[in-house]
Amino acid sequence: MNNIEITQDPLAQVELTETVGNIYADDAKMSIRNANVYYGEKQAIHDVSLDLAKNQVTALIGPSGCGKSTFLRCLNRMNDTIDICRITGQLMLDDEDIYAKNLDPVLLRARVGMVFQKPNPFPKSIYDNVAYGARIHGLTNNKAELDEIVETSLQKAGLFNEVKDRLKDPGTGLSGGQQQRLCIARTIAVSPEVILMDEPASALDPIATAIIEELIDELKEKYTIAIVTHSMQQAARVSQHTAYFHMGKLVEMGKTEDIFTHPSHKLTENYITGRFG
Amino acid sequence: MTNSIDKNITGNATPAKLQTKLSTTEKVALSLKKRHQKERRFRNTGFSAVLFGFMLVVILIGDITTKALPAFHQHWVKLDVNYQSDWLSVDANLSGYELTQQLKTANFRKVLRNSLYPMFVNEQTPKLSRKDKRSAFKLFSSNAEFTIRDALLAAPEDLNETVSIWVRLDDDVDSYLKEGFAFGTAGLRIDEQQAQWVAKLEQEQRIESRFNTSFFTASDSREPELAGIKGALMGTLLTMFVTLLLSFPLGVAGALYLEEFAPKNRLTDIIEININNLAAVPSIVFGLLGLAVIINLFGLPRSAPLVGGIVLTLMTLPTIIIASRAAIKAVPPSIREAALGLGASKMQVTLSHVLPQAMPGIITGGIIGIAQALGETAPLLMIGMVAFIVDVPTSIADSATVLPVQIFLWADSPERAFLAKTSAAILVLLTLLLVINTTATVLRSKFEKK
Repeated sequence: MNNIEITQDPLAQVELTETVGNIYADDAKMSIRNANVYYGEKQAIHDVSLDLAKNQVTALIGPSGCGKSTFLRCLNRMNDTIDICRITGQLMLDDEDIYAKNLDPVLLRARVGMVFQKPNPFPKSIYDNVAYGARIHGLTNNKAELDEIVETSLQKAGLFNEVKDRLKDPGTGLSGGQQQRLCIARTIAVSPEVILMDEPASALDPIATAIIEELIDELKEKYTIAIVTHSMQQAARVSQHTAYFHMGKLVEMGKTEDIFTHPSHKLTENYITGRFG
Repeated sequence: MTNSIDKNITGNATPAKLQTKLSTTEKVALSLKKRHQKERRFRNTGFSAVLFGFMLVVILIGDITTKALPAFHQHWVKLDVNYQSDWLSVDANLSGYELTQQLKTANFRKVLRNSLYPMFVNEQTPKLSRKDKRSAFKLFSSNAEFTIRDALLAAPEDLNETVSIWVRLDDDVDSYLKEGFAFGTAGLRIDEQQAQWVAKLEQEQRIESRFNTSFFTASDSREPELAGIKGALMGTLLTMFVTLLLSFPLGVAGALYLEEFAPKNRLTDIIEININNLAAVPSIVFGLLGLAVIINLFGLPRSAPLVGGIVLTLMTLPTIIIASRAAIKAVPPSIREAALGLGASKMQVTLSHVLPQAMPGIITGGIIGIAQALGETAPLLMIGMVAFIVDVPTSIADSATVLPVQIFLWADSPERAFLAKTSAAILVLLTLLLVINTTATVLRSKFEKK
């Protein structure tokens, strides 16, 4: 399988024909086949196929600009907002094609939530931040039920005890780590099936990062999670599956412990051992 | 470390021997003095610019205020009016409704004349000549006749009695009293005889200076002592009401559509360029458009605040759209993404996140637009809002004029008293501007707090 010559410059364009490792999951929540993403003329993602295993954490790693964030954003059609972005291939959530003509992206995003790199709470109160999703989707008209949703979401995000006395305070007044957990609480308040996380801890200090990682570990009981990260340690700590992206291609995918202990592909090995990236 | 940098610089820069002796720190220290000097110069220039601007504003406001002050008070004179029924040519035996009807059309001018001539006779001139009579009559406002009529209508029992009634002096006399001209000065519009009479009236303590309420309660008039700004003020308020009602929602909706919904293609590019161009179109062109299309084609009434408002809307729309688009663009994309990621529809993202965040900027654009419209004269000239209108407009379809046009009209009038009126009207316009701006600022800070 390993038919690639590594040149002196490891970042030089590599001819990659096939992904090594195992892209399949026994119980796939999302399965992507032959996904290609173009920004205008430029192709950002080349023929990527992988499964996201249900109730497990899949880490997407790779050097900057390798397309892992682009790929993640395709999974809930966030790239629709970019006019020049074009996507081909088959992207399935359960058994539905998420790019089907009759599928409403609004519904998709309610099922596939997203947490962004930089904490981005709305300039509203903590309560309104969490309640926003439930309100816009009309999940409840009842004040008591809404309170319940807000409380359980904040509890799940491990934030409730810290903010229970100041739910009316602005969400932007929290610390960075708390803001990010608020964003997670906001996402899970809509009860999504999949949560996409785009480097959720990259703007946080190690202690806040540890809390978020612990949280991710708990969240996988209920949700399927895909996380983009620059930290290999983080990928090793939180994920069960790891996919290594390089220059818009999926180089290798497999169980996290396999990838980090004996990667099959030279590129993966170079990246993991810190030779580049 | 320093050494290596030093070598590097000298290595590839110049072979000058001087440079090799200086370390990096020394070079920085050398340039530092120059840089600080530059900074100081820049700061001082900025400060003097601000000071200069502030000074000009102070001079302007001070000048206008001093010039406007005379307009806020006015001289009244006490007349002993003899309401003789045969001068009025009414039947003294009538009463009630019939008497009132007769009094309404009675000859009060004769009463006025006969009441005021005796004030100016003395031993030397027991009888006034025809010329004297005319110049004596000219001392009083043309409105005095109606003042004494209204007084009698209010108290019909005074018929055939002599009562003291205060009437306005003519504007020329008023100006003479206010400005204390030496006799024979250019601009003085009363003659020696009249000046003596005025002095006599003053001696008898018949002349009194009162606050000029009619300036705020009356509409325009050819007689400066009667002219007020109420009509123009109402016209301005009605016109601004129409302008605000049309331009703000339209401008914001247009900006939101162009920023959030419109596809980015050649057509929207062309629209954007044209909006920017429209902002630079001379305002009188919009007036021509209003005349040709809104009045002549659609047949809306001439001189009406409705048409004025529409024309000013055309003029302010580009300003509001450009400012609103800038404000909408400045909303961080992370907020949009967060809402989209939660499954908010485009509409929900726009209304609950983009618009509130952009509101302070949009309001600022609105203020600029409205302030521009408030001071606009040229386009309104084209649609007939320059007409001389004595009635206070009560609806947007009535004939009206606006404050800037009123200022223009008064500034154009030859009567000396209009000079003060012009300044006073400018003060009122500036006050109105200040009120609008303050309201908008309060509104904006309220939105910013949210």
